[in-house]
Amino acid sequence: MPAHSTDPLLHPEVRQASILAYGAGFVASTVFMAIALVITLGRVLPYLGLLAAISALAMLALLAQVVLLFRLDLSETQLWKTVSLALVIPLFVLSIGLTGWMFHTLYPRTMLHFMAVQGSGSMM
Amino acid sequence: MSLVHLQGSWTPWLGRLTLSVILYHNGIVDGAFVFAAVTGIVILGVITYYRKWGYLIREWITSLDHKKIGVMYILIGLVMMFRGFIDALMIRTQQMMADGPDSPGHLQALHGYLPPYHFDQIYSSHGTIMILFAVTPILVGLMNLIVPLQIGARDMAFPYLNAVSLWLTAAGAGLVMASLFIGDFSHAGWIGLIPLTELPYSPGVGVDYWMWAIQIGSVGTTLGTVNLIATIVKMRAPGMTWFRMPIFTWTALSTNIIGLTAFPVLGVALALLGCDRYLGTHFYTAGLGGNLMLFTDLFWIWGHPEVYFLVLPAFGIISEIIPTFSERPLFGYITMVAATFAIAGISWSVWLHHFFTMGAGPDVNGFFSVATMLVGIPTGVKVFNWAFTLYRGRLRFDTPMLWAVGAVFLLLVGGLTGMMLAIPPINYTIHNSVFVVAHFHCMVLVVAFSIFGAIAYWFPKVFGFRLDEHNGKRVFACFSLGTFLVFAAMFALGFMGMTRRLDYLADPHWKPLLIVEEIGVFFYCVACYYFFRMLHVSIRDRAKNRVGADAWGTGRSPEWIARSPVPFYNFAATPHFNALDEAAWRRGQGLSDVAPRDYEPIATPKNTIAPPLIGALAFGFGFGMVWRIWWMAGLSLIAIIGVVILRSFATETEHVISAEQIRSMETTGSSVGIVTDHISPPVAEAEAFL
Repeated sequence: MPAHSTDPLLHPEVRQASILAYGAGFVASTVFMAIALVITLGRVLPYLGLLAAISALAMLALLAQVVLLFRLDLSETQLWKTVSLALVIPLFVLSIGLTGWMFHTLYPRTMLHFMAVQGSGSMM
Repeated sequence: MSLVHLQGSWTPWLGRLTLSVILYHNGIVDGAFVFAAVTGIVILGVITYYRKWGYLIREWITSLDHKKIGVMYILIGLVMMFRGFIDALMIRTQQMMADGPDSPGHLQALHGYLPPYHFDQIYSSHGTIMILFAVTPILVGLMNLIVPLQIGARDMAFPYLNAVSLWLTAAGAGLVMASLFIGDFSHAGWIGLIPLTELPYSPGVGVDYWMWAIQIGSVGTTLGTVNLIATIVKMRAPGMTWFRMPIFTWTALSTNIIGLTAFPVLGVALALLGCDRYLGTHFYTAGLGGNLMLFTDLFWIWGHPEVYFLVLPAFGIISEIIPTFSERPLFGYITMVAATFAIAGISWSVWLHHFFTMGAGPDVNGFFSVATMLVGIPTGVKVFNWAFTLYRGRLRFDTPMLWAVGAVFLLLVGGLTGMMLAIPPINYTIHNSVFVVAHFHCMVLVVAFSIFGAIAYWFPKVFGFRLDEHNGKRVFACFSLGTFLVFAAMFALGFMGMTRRLDYLADPHWKPLLIVEEIGVFFYCVACYYFFRMLHVSIRDRAKNRVGADAWGTGRSPEWIARSPVPFYNFAATPHFNALDEAAWRRGQGLSDVAPRDYEPIATPKNTIAPPLIGALAFGFGFGMVWRIWWMAGLSLIAIIGVVILRSFATETEHVISAEQIRSMETTGSSVGIVTDHISPPVAEAEAFL
C-alpha cells in the first residue's frame, strides 16, 4: 500500500458541508423537538392525538437531520450511508411494532388504571 | 441538585463523595482492597524496576496497531473475567454456607458470610462484568486481531477510532473496578431490575456506577462495530471476494451489524433511566405517566441481540478450528454463511421471551415463542455442518480442538434447554429458577470455550510460539469438569424449585447439590491455576515452541499465510487471494513459501496519545457523574471535545516504511513481532505540537 496524503478539504463529504444547511438543520430539529416538549407538558391534546403529534414531529426532526445535517442522498459519496439508514427501517418497524403489540395486550392485564387514563384523554 | 431528592450530604467540590465511603469495616472488601493494592504495587514496581514505562507507552498505550489493540482488549477482558470469576466463587460459596435455618453466620451476615446487600452487589457485578467487560472485549479483541489478517488488510479502516473504542471500554471497566473500593455497585442485577434502579429504591451510587460504566463502555463497543463493518466491506485485498471470506470474518460482519443496531437501544434505555435519576423525569416510574415495563422491553431489545453478538463470533471460531484439526474444508460453507445471517436476523424478533411472564397476551407470547424456536433451525444447520466436517476427517485433538468440541457439546445442552424455555407454559413454570441460570450459562460457556480455543489457536500467529499443550489440556479438563459439576447440579436445583439470586436458601434438601456446585467451582479454581501455569511455561519454553507461518500445519484461512509472529505491517506485499481457504490452496499449489519479488512503501498509522487521554477523561466524566461532582464531569467532557479538536490538527498521521526497509526486515527474518521494541511509528502529536 503506497503512502498517500490528500488534502482533507478535498474529501467529498467535506465538500458537501454547508453552514446554511447545518444552521437550518439545527434550528429545524430543535424547533420540532421543542414543540413536542411543549405539547407534552401542556397536556392540550387527547392521548391518541398526542401520540400522533409527537410521532409526526419526531419524523420531521429526523428528516431535518437526515437531509440538512447528515446531507444523505443517493450520490456516490453518501449512497452507503443512505442504504445503511434504509436497512435500519425494517428493524425500527419490527421493534416499535412488536413493542406496541406487546403493550397493547399487556395493559388490559396489568395496567387497568392506565387504560382508564387513556380513555379519559388525560395523562394524569 | 434540586431536581431530585438525594439522601446524604452533597458539596460542590466533592459531590456525594465523603471519606466514609472509602473507609471500610467489611473484611471481604478490605481483603479485596489489600489484594488489589499489593498486586498493583507489584506490577508497577516490576515495570519501574525493568524500566519498561517508555516501552509500554511507546509500543502499547499510544499504539494504533490493530493487533496490539486486540491484545489489549483481550487482556482487559481476561482480567475482568478473573474478577467476575471471583464474584461467582463468592456467590456459590455463600449459597452453600447459607442453606437452612441452622446455617451459621459470619462477618456480619446472619447466614453464610455475605450480608444480603453485599451479596446482591456481587451477583450484579458478576453478570455485568462477565457479559459486558469480559466476554465482549475478548471477542472484540479477537475480531480486531484476526479479521484484518483474514481479509489481507494492513489495519482496521479507522485505526484511531479503534484505539478510542478500546480506551472507552477500559474506562467503563475502570468504573466497575472503582466501585469495589469507592462506594457501592448496583444491587439491582446486571439487567437493572426496574423500578429497583430508580432513585427512591436505590438512593446510593451503585446504580449510577452500573449505568455509567455500561454507557461509556458501550459507546466504545458501538464505535468498534462501525469500524469492523467498514473494514470488512471496504478493506478486503484483491481477490478476496465476498464468498472467499473466511467464516470467522462472516460471523464478525453479522455480529457487528447486530451490535451497531442494538447497542444504541441500550444507550437510550440507560439515558432515560439517567433522566429519571438525575433530572427527576418519570420514564420508568410506576406513576406520573411513566411505564416501568418500558425499561425491561428496551433493555431486552438490546439484550437478546447481544446474546447473538456474543455467540456468533464463537460459532465463527468453532468453524475455523474444526476444519484445521479435521484436515478437511468446512462442510457447507454457503449454508454456514446463510445460517449466520439467519440467526442475526431472527435475533431481532425474540427478545420478549426474556419476560414471557410479564403478562402480555397469548398471541404475543406465541409469536415470540415460535420466533425463538426458529433460531434452532440455522443453529442446527451449523451443528450438522460441524459434524459433517468432523466425519471421516483426520482428527487431531490439540487444545484448540478440545475447546471447540466441548463448545459444540455445551451448545447442544444450552440449545435444547433453550427450546424448553421457549415454550411459554414451561417458561411460566421454571421462570426465575436456577434452571434458567444454568441454561444461559451453558450458552455463555459456549462462548467461553470458544474464546479459550481461539486464544490457543491464534496465540502462535500473534506471538510466534505455541502455548504449552500439556498445561493447556489440563486447563480444558479442569474447566470442563467444573462446568459439568456446577451446571448439572444447577439444572437439578432449578427443577427442585430453587430460585435465582438467593443469599439465603430455606430448603436444607438442596445442600448436597450446592456442595456439588462448590466442588465444581473448586475445579474452576484449579483450571485458573493451570491457565497461569500454561502462560508461564509457554513463555519460559518459547524458544522450543516457535512456529512458522502455518502454526498448526493444516491451517486453511488466509491469516496462516502471514508470518508468525505477524509483523507490524501484516503483509510485506498486498496479498492477492485466489480461493476460499487461501492457505490450504497455496499449500496445495506448492506456493506456501513464495516471497514477493518487489516491495512497495507501506504506510502505517502513527501512534497517538489522544485515545488513552480520551479514555482517562471519559473515566473522569463517569466518576464525576456517579458522585455528582458536576465540575469534574463538565471539565472532563469539555476536555474530551478539546482533545478531539486538537487531534484533528495533527494532519501527518501516517508513517511510511520504505520498500528497502521492508525488504531488509523480510530477508533477514528480523523479529518485528508484537512484543519487539523500537518498531512503533512516532507519536503524531509529538511531531505536530512539540
